[in-house]
Amino acid sequence: MKRTLGTGLAVVLLLGVVTAIVLGQGSGEQAQLQTVRGVIGSEKLAFFADQRVRDVFAKHGLKVEVDPAGSRQIATATDLNSYDFAFPSSAPAAEKIQRDRKAARTYAPFSSPMVVATFDPVVDLLTKAGVVKTGPGYQTFDVQAYLELAAKGTRWDQLPGNTAYPARKNLLVTTTDPRDSNSAAMYLAITSFVANGGVVSSQDAEAKVLPAVSKLFLDQGYTQSSTEGPFEDYLSAGMGKTPLVLAYEAQFVDRVVRGDSSVRPDMKLLYPAPTVLSKHTLVPLRETGDRVGQLLQSDAELGRLAATFGFRTADPRHFNDMTKEKNLTVPQTIVDVVEPPAHETLERMLEAIAKQY
Amino acid sequence: MIRRLVPAVAVVALLAGCSDSTDPDRPVGDAAPGTLRVLAGSELADLQPILDEAAKATGISVKFSFTGTIEGAEKVASGAAEQGFDAVWFSSNRYLELVPEAQKRLGTPAKVMSSPVVLGLPAEKVKELGWDGRRVGWAEIAEAAGAQKFTYGMTDPSASNSGFSALVGVAAALSGSGSALDAARIDAVAPQLEQFFSAQKLSAGSSGWLSEAHARRATGEDPGAEVDGLINYESVLLSMPQPLTLVYPSDGVVTADYPLTLLTSASSEAREAHQKLSDHLRSADVQRKIMETTHRRPAVPQVQLDGRFAVRDLVELPFPGSQSAVDGLITTYFDRLRRPSRTLYVLDTSGSMQGDRIDGLRQALVGLTGADESLAGKFSRFHGREQVTLLPFSSSARPALKYEVPQDDPRPVLDQIRTTATSLDASGGTAIYSSLRGGYAVLRQQIDADPDRFTSIVLMTDGENTGSEGITDFQLFHQSLTPDLKGIPIFPVLFGESATAEMEQVAKMSGGKVFDARSRSLSAAFKEIRGYQ
Repeated sequence: MKRTLGTGLAVVLLLGVVTAIVLGQGSGEQAQLQTVRGVIGSEKLAFFADQRVRDVFAKHGLKVEVDPAGSRQIATATDLNSYDFAFPSSAPAAEKIQRDRKAARTYAPFSSPMVVATFDPVVDLLTKAGVVKTGPGYQTFDVQAYLELAAKGTRWDQLPGNTAYPARKNLLVTTTDPRDSNSAAMYLAITSFVANGGVVSSQDAEAKVLPAVSKLFLDQGYTQSSTEGPFEDYLSAGMGKTPLVLAYEAQFVDRVVRGDSSVRPDMKLLYPAPTVLSKHTLVPLRETGDRVGQLLQSDAELGRLAATFGFRTADPRHFNDMTKEKNLTVPQTIVDVVEPPAHETLERMLEAIAKQY
Repeated sequence: MIRRLVPAVAVVALLAGCSDSTDPDRPVGDAAPGTLRVLAGSELADLQPILDEAAKATGISVKFSFTGTIEGAEKVASGAAEQGFDAVWFSSNRYLELVPEAQKRLGTPAKVMSSPVVLGLPAEKVKELGWDGRRVGWAEIAEAAGAQKFTYGMTDPSASNSGFSALVGVAAALSGSGSALDAARIDAVAPQLEQFFSAQKLSAGSSGWLSEAHARRATGEDPGAEVDGLINYESVLLSMPQPLTLVYPSDGVVTADYPLTLLTSASSEAREAHQKLSDHLRSADVQRKIMETTHRRPAVPQVQLDGRFAVRDLVELPFPGSQSAVDGLITTYFDRLRRPSRTLYVLDTSGSMQGDRIDGLRQALVGLTGADESLAGKFSRFHGREQVTLLPFSSSARPALKYEVPQDDPRPVLDQIRTTATSLDASGGTAIYSSLRGGYAVLRQQIDADPDRFTSIVLMTDGENTGSEGITDFQLFHQSLTPDLKGIPIFPVLFGESATAEMEQVAKMSGGKVFDARSRSLSAAFKEIRGYQ
């Protein structure tokens, strides 16, 4: 008893000293912090706004200020001159910026696979329909089988034996608007790969796949412009409104980590086979921006924090530790991952779809 | 949503502590710290107690100015909204996002609550229809409506979101393709849609007035024929004093989700205010309170629906993906799907109308012939199949000028109305009531020939009655009318030196509603009345 108390006291004392040192450092450095400005895909806004993340950057003498923007917008429309780095959520967008700005290198400190979030009854239905399959340790969403159902304009109530969700609407994954959003572009990367039987890399292939992939967007009618929209509907309005929603794995994991009970037990993640990774890629535009890239890539604390926001980190340990700690059942590795088409190809297809609205 | 401008302006003035600002672009004043200036649908007015508490908790107070969805979209698209507002708050952003010029001006949305648009019917009617204890789809509802097994009221889809949602929902569900609507799909289900809308016996420009009129007709306070049910927000139907049984179509609904949406032009102070307020409104306790006091569904998954919501998981029907599809659907509704209108305009052309006033009247009528090219104006023109009668009067009624707008090629008849309107002249006295009485003779003939129409009277006068028949004579006359004529609502327009009390009385005895054009143009008032015709 006595001994325990003694140790406890020592810890408190030690903590006090450490706190004093950290605080001392913090206030000393406050004045010398160098401001770095970045334009980032909005999915990472919460990460950069987090006080713990700011503290790590401050320890390295940096104050990072960010403006959120759509990843496609960052690549094409945003005036990048006032920024030290650009941090879009996809590799094709980063490629284009790197080329335009002649950046020497890029950093891909974290990524997140595209997933389809759904509900138990829908998993059962789609398993019977041959769309959901048991993969290597996780359930997959067979994109080929899905495209076949979608091509026929299948409605939910036309699935044989469907009493769980007999909705009189088309069996479609809810996405965002292909005219605005990165996640919709990633979805196009997946579906065009499958429709073409490989990465679309020629105008012939574009023409070949466009009718089928356009339908996946157009038949949804109105779609929201930010990925948060349909995912929030999935969480709050449930299966009736959004039986299948395209999301970043990070969105789902982030909610589970938060533990705010918004993810209910009947909510399930499916990994499209194949899927693509949304590779959050930082393009340094100035020296200070490069330092942010280095830190994100190599700093263990930032890696751990990124994992708590649901991102898969360059060093997979952080993500894996976090999932173990939180008892999360997500696959450590996803096997069936394909590359998105080149930026120009993706843009051309998106524009061709936009014209049909 | 709703364009009841007068109460809206009054509310705004109250909220603003009676501001002196009369700048039409800045109805709620300049940007100020701790204030969020919001262009909103008027149905948000019931959130005031929640917002008052929010102001105490967060230091952010909301100043509302109310408008309709389509008018609001127009203001956002033109950039006018940016001049005087930091945010917009309508029942949904769907229409706004379909207008490219509006879409690019919308910033971060925060969904605050939701409410589906459903059908409410008296319990005994539901039993009679055999819908007790089982779910029915839109097709079955349309069939029963077509067989006149029940009647209902619904708002004008171009003026109010609940009617708009119902129209999109029933069209999407009946089209059966399950995917978003386009013109060909609408054509294919037009006969079924006509059936469904044949049972619509009451229209209104606002959800609130619709429920009130429904209740007044049920008690006999209004002379109009009783209407069984209502298509309205679940929240409105749940808060009615005589609750209706809610019918949730099994194949789906369209739901309002009330996103409080920042405009991209907002200052960083306004951004912070928006964030703070959104966080507060979306916190679990406030969400629960919104559910309890307004009967709307919470927007965050942490708050469970309570027992008042009989059906929890609602299928959401797809919404069209382009403005042209939506506009096409609304136009088809007016020109083809709904019961056609019969509208009688009793118009003061006395000497006091000379000058600007008669000019304003001409413009107001010309606007309804398709000259108004604004989004809202497009839908308020005289519709295909509509019977329009102009009855100008001064010391006595002039000859009635009757028109019927063809469904397919409306232009020539609209041009004739325009020519007539531009040649209206002002002279003589103001024989209001004998002229109004004369109007019923015209309607009698028209109803005998073709009874199944939305029939209404607009009475526009700018001053006191100078004729020998007074309001009392008219009241006696009105009481003696047959039920079909007595139930025709009269919509008096206050203008110039109108006798306000008498006009109120005329509206009340006929189950109509007064519209004020004293502080705005006659055009604006005439356009607003279109929602009730």
